[in-house]
Amino acid sequence: METGSARPKAGLIDCVGLRWFFRLLSSSIGQKFVMGITGLLLCGFLAAHLAGNLLLFAGAELFNDYAHKLHEQWELLIVAETGLAVLFLAHIYLAFATAAGNGRAREDDYAMKQPKVPGRVIGANTWMFASGAVVLGFVLLHLVDLRLGMEGIDLRGLKLKDMKPFDATVKVLSNPISRVVYTIGAIILGIHLSHGFSSAFQSLGLNHPKYTPMIKLLGKIFAFVIAVGFASLALFVPEIWRK
Amino acid sequence: MNHTSTKALNLTLKIWRQAGPDQPGALKSYTLTDISPDMSFLEMLDVLNEQLIAKGEEPVAFDHDCREGICGTCGVMINGQAHGPDSATTTCQLHMRRFSDGDTILIEPWRARAFPIVRDLVVDRSAFDRIIQSGGYVSVNTGGAPDANAIPVPGHAQQDAMAAAACIGCGACVASCKNASAMLFVSAKVTHLADLPQGQAERSKRVLNMVATMDSEKFGNCTNTGECEAACPAGIKLSNIAQMNREYMKAVLFSCE
Repeated sequence: METGSARPKAGLIDCVGLRWFFRLLSSSIGQKFVMGITGLLLCGFLAAHLAGNLLLFAGAELFNDYAHKLHEQWELLIVAETGLAVLFLAHIYLAFATAAGNGRAREDDYAMKQPKVPGRVIGANTWMFASGAVVLGFVLLHLVDLRLGMEGIDLRGLKLKDMKPFDATVKVLSNPISRVVYTIGAIILGIHLSHGFSSAFQSLGLNHPKYTPMIKLLGKIFAFVIAVGFASLALFVPEIWRK
Repeated sequence: MNHTSTKALNLTLKIWRQAGPDQPGALKSYTLTDISPDMSFLEMLDVLNEQLIAKGEEPVAFDHDCREGICGTCGVMINGQAHGPDSATTTCQLHMRRFSDGDTILIEPWRARAFPIVRDLVVDRSAFDRIIQSGGYVSVNTGGAPDANAIPVPGHAQQDAMAAAACIGCGACVASCKNASAMLFVSAKVTHLADLPQGQAERSKRVLNMVATMDSEKFGNCTNTGECEAACPAGIKLSNIAQMNREYMKAVLFSCE
């Protein structure tokens, strides 16, 4: 409605036409949308990371080759690492933002609460924040162990500097603390994915009677493969290559 | 509690009593004898209230209107389940034969920050009204009743729209969701008009405004547990929420609103 008074000066956000972007990021549906996208992209990273790491079973030569080829492309690596960091941070920030909103939405709890979904046991979908937090702890230790350790920032006294990637990895996986945390981390990650993978599609609006049953099944299979795959690295790699 | 009773029931009720919005509340126990299994749940509460009034006590306040499952006015948590143990059933459609002699039944109001308690089992659901209001109106001049074939609507669109329009706005979705999310309700309201040609003119504006109001009313987010769908007496589906997510993202990214 025209009031005759001067219009307020448009801010930077309006000048570049990004009002929609902030509306998206501040809305419940928009936040879950970004949560879903970042989650699925991180699933892509998991698949690639597992595929590469399974070369640990193939022996030192193949694994070192793979690691060297990956690290030779350092320009690409910077882009990939920055991208991954953004995905992780966005996913984690939104976990806190949405969980805080959920907590505030019911201040007084029920004296009794029972599920009405037939046969539902309180499962992965109730523990996404907790399972995510465990996975985050595992990822942080993993970064300290290998990302920083290989650079010579030796926070855990593993002395990995100047070691070949294969030997360094086997050494980390042989460390009892890392081995236990990595195994638990992989299993909890699987639980996180068993809900997260298919739920991301729902958040993106990708629900269809033809495809949703298949997506749900794929989500469970993906979660199982990722959990078993990564846990097998921590469990078997040190046994096989123990010198 | 899957069996059905045929003989009269003696029950212990634990009911949330709260004198007013800012008053402290607590569960209070009552015993009821000789309740007919053919009574509805609300009729059982009527019997309790008549006894309370006869004793000079304050009756239990609860919302109800049509008592045939179409108005969406009634609704309480019964033993921790919205509208009680049956699926696709409102509280007024629940019969006492679903309970057994000697049962203890816990009755609580819907609990959500967006649904403040008015008194006992009555909550203020006007947040839903404000969401509906923000959706605006359908600005199609309908004129007289059009010829049945003048506006082509595919069968599946008509069925989806009708299924979504079945939402009675009782609030069981919010009550049963661990995040007190209103997504199922809002998705029903958004999709039943988005499916039909009459709803196209305001399609983008409607979803943007309704979701903005839903967020400002402090409902929680969807974690996709499916409890809302299981508690819904009108059969609204999780696929409605996915459709609303699509509608919302389409409106944010591609509409001029």
